[in-house]
Amino acid sequence: PAPAAAGRAPGPPDGGWGWMVLFGAFISIGFAYAFPKGLAIFFKEIQDFFGTSYSEIAWVSSIMLATTYGAGPISSILVNRYGSRPVVMFGGLLCGVGMISAAFCTSILQLYVCVGFITGFGLALNLQPSVIIIGKYFLKRRPMANGLAMAGSPVMLCTLAPLNQFLFENFGWRGSFLILGAILLNCCVAGALFRPIGAGTAPVKSQVTEEGKDALKGKITEDGPLENKTEEEGGKDCFEKVNQYLDFSLFKHRGFLIYMIGNVLMFLGFFAPIVFLAPYAKHTGIDEYSAAFLLSILAVVDMVARPTTGIIANSRWVRPRIQYFFSFAIAFNGACHLLVPLASSYTGLVVYSSFFGLAFGMVCAMLFETLMDLVGAARFTSAVGLVTIAECCTILLGPPIGGILIDTFGDYKYMFIKCGAVMVLAGTFLFIMNYYNYRMLAKEEKERKTKEEDPEAVRTENEAKKNWNKDSIQDGPELESLKEKGEGLKKEMNGT
Amino acid sequence: AGFIKSPLSQKRLTQDSVELYCEAIGSPIPEIQWWFEGNDPNETYAQLWDGARQDRVKINATYNLHSTSTISIANLTGDDSGMYECRASNDPDRNHLSKSPKVKWIRSQANVFVIERPEITPLVTESSGKLTLSCNMSGPHPIIKGHKWIHKDKVLEEDENSNAFTSYTIEGKMEEHSGIYECIFEANPQIRGEVNISVAPQVTAYKKSEHGNEGDTGVLTCKNPSYPAVTTWSWYKSGHGVSAVNASGRYIIKSSGNKTELRILKLDIEQDTGDYFCNGTNSHGTGEATVNLRVRSRLAALWPFLGIVAEVLVLVTIIFIYEKRRKPDEVPDGKRQLGLNLAGKSNATNHKDKNVRQRNAN
Repeated sequence: PAPAAAGRAPGPPDGGWGWMVLFGAFISIGFAYAFPKGLAIFFKEIQDFFGTSYSEIAWVSSIMLATTYGAGPISSILVNRYGSRPVVMFGGLLCGVGMISAAFCTSILQLYVCVGFITGFGLALNLQPSVIIIGKYFLKRRPMANGLAMAGSPVMLCTLAPLNQFLFENFGWRGSFLILGAILLNCCVAGALFRPIGAGTAPVKSQVTEEGKDALKGKITEDGPLENKTEEEGGKDCFEKVNQYLDFSLFKHRGFLIYMIGNVLMFLGFFAPIVFLAPYAKHTGIDEYSAAFLLSILAVVDMVARPTTGIIANSRWVRPRIQYFFSFAIAFNGACHLLVPLASSYTGLVVYSSFFGLAFGMVCAMLFETLMDLVGAARFTSAVGLVTIAECCTILLGPPIGGILIDTFGDYKYMFIKCGAVMVLAGTFLFIMNYYNYRMLAKEEKERKTKEEDPEAVRTENEAKKNWNKDSIQDGPELESLKEKGEGLKKEMNGT
Repeated sequence: AGFIKSPLSQKRLTQDSVELYCEAIGSPIPEIQWWFEGNDPNETYAQLWDGARQDRVKINATYNLHSTSTISIANLTGDDSGMYECRASNDPDRNHLSKSPKVKWIRSQANVFVIERPEITPLVTESSGKLTLSCNMSGPHPIIKGHKWIHKDKVLEEDENSNAFTSYTIEGKMEEHSGIYECIFEANPQIRGEVNISVAPQVTAYKKSEHGNEGDTGVLTCKNPSYPAVTTWSWYKSGHGVSAVNASGRYIIKSSGNKTELRILKLDIEQDTGDYFCNGTNSHGTGEATVNLRVRSRLAALWPFLGIVAEVLVLVTIIFIYEKRRKPDEVPDGKRQLGLNLAGKSNATNHKDKNVRQRNAN
């Protein structure tokens, strides 16, 4: 069979300029996750200045986080339309403008708008494209690239925290916001590195007859505008127009649904333990500095865990079964939380923090990688947008629910038990459903292979495909192209 | 009627105070009275009332479900020694003048001994980096079973000797350990003495160097953790000679015994930058500290800001120029939507180019 035909784009480079893109993504993702957390240092001063209560200040952080996750679909639509680079550069500009205008705010409401909405939206425009473009530049080494890029978050947090302290002492909060605005403009630099590349989308339409055979082998995926141009039936109604930019057909994709349900469940218990770790430590009688030190341990272990997980996930034993690895990481996380009530001394909490850091890093490193693995790099753009807006609700609900549990029972252990239980449940769910998914994929793979042998079937297949519901084919994407390229990646799809 | 709680016999020192407590029940609720018989052989019982003995006696009684009564006598003298009797009766005829009271009142007695307070001589000596606090008890005293030293509600040292003298040693200087120290002689009753380490105010600044933004409010704080507390605080400013900063106009001063705060409204770079001195005085002397105030101009943050923006622009320009230069060498990775068509086109163009070149070569 003809190897990657002339019409098909060369595969993702997996190196070369890709490393610069990775660096840009590192910076961009780092800012997106670490920046809201780093702002907490300024809150006391701002609270005194405007004379508001602590909860009113905390809204700034919440609005920022909500906007960053909630604007995901918008981000996806823009990337689908314009590509990653313009979106990230615009996002960086927006962040900068938001923080600079925040430096001149005169009321807490204006802070909500400038810091919360504008900067939050800018960060959202940073986050999604960075994750997306990694999928376009890396294939063989993608899990490792994902791990390295996600490591940006703890590294940035460790840098931002002392930096913010220094800025605050020397320039006050207004001056600091001004300078932070300038620092956020560096996201534009990161964006400039995101040189557009077509690899990974390789859409070969079945209509192009010469490519008939390859069409069978290749991924039959849609790339937004392309679908429109070659679709002979036309008939653009409103729904199709939206679908053009944001692939709602993903909701019929088995892997996507599994991922979304599992993740939405997981995020209910993901962030709450971090928020309450220091208060819990103080509650058990540990002094403030040691409590803060626990968070530092967490961050350092996290920083190391992410690239390491990326490398492990990239190895040939784990990669085909990466979904299992992901479910294991989530369940491991949950197990850590369930064991917390047993740790009452400081050493116990230190051990917990290290394991928690490890588990947290593992999950974060593979968060987007697993989604890419399930839906393929082409539809990833839309997938990530839809997933983030679904996660948005549970992410915001998690810590307040934990807070309510703590207030009602007066004991932190119920919150930890709830988080642990939710995550173990999510992990088990994902494990079982992915086992099922792998088997279905293997089955479809087998069917496809038998049809290939029969040329008659090919032609009828071609005809049929024109009318096929585009989503009936589930993707076992990259593994296909790898096999063809003869890279020697041995995957053992169950039953193949 | 019957007693639930009877008053207890006690020993006290002169100038101390004593409290006796009595509780009785009955139906109807009994009335409680306090009677006293002195040690003189001629004395007979006399009733005590609230305000007796030049207002040194206070009686507090409640009559709810049962009766309770507390009698307290302050500033005891030797004449207060004697027998104190708590009497209760719920007989309706109890105060009738013609009927004999003894039959109708139940009584409970307590003996109060008032002992002359022995004199305690406190002493503080300082030598070779050590401070020695001592209490020397002179005059007649009860049997001593031990000693205790207390400072700020914390027990510093305890022992079980029976001397009339006790001492406690601290490493350091008087300035570091000022305050009120109590020496306690464990006996019946307990005898307490007080040793004070008093020094001049050890004034320090919360932060040696403070920052403020132009137009905002600046706060300078000084504190005095030593004993005794400061009676007068004052602020001075250098720069234009030393002049007292009055609590007027732009300056607001808030002071207490151990802390003082100077607030300056609407900071001005020229006028307000400089050293400020806080001065605290007490009965033992004066102490001073210096705080330096730096006023940042509104534009202070502007330079780093412009610097970073410049850096961003430079980097972005470099990246784009680098990309444009590399473009001709690389296979265009751009949008390849109609993959085949493009390939076809490029083939065509290549052919054209070749033809052109060939023609040209020819």
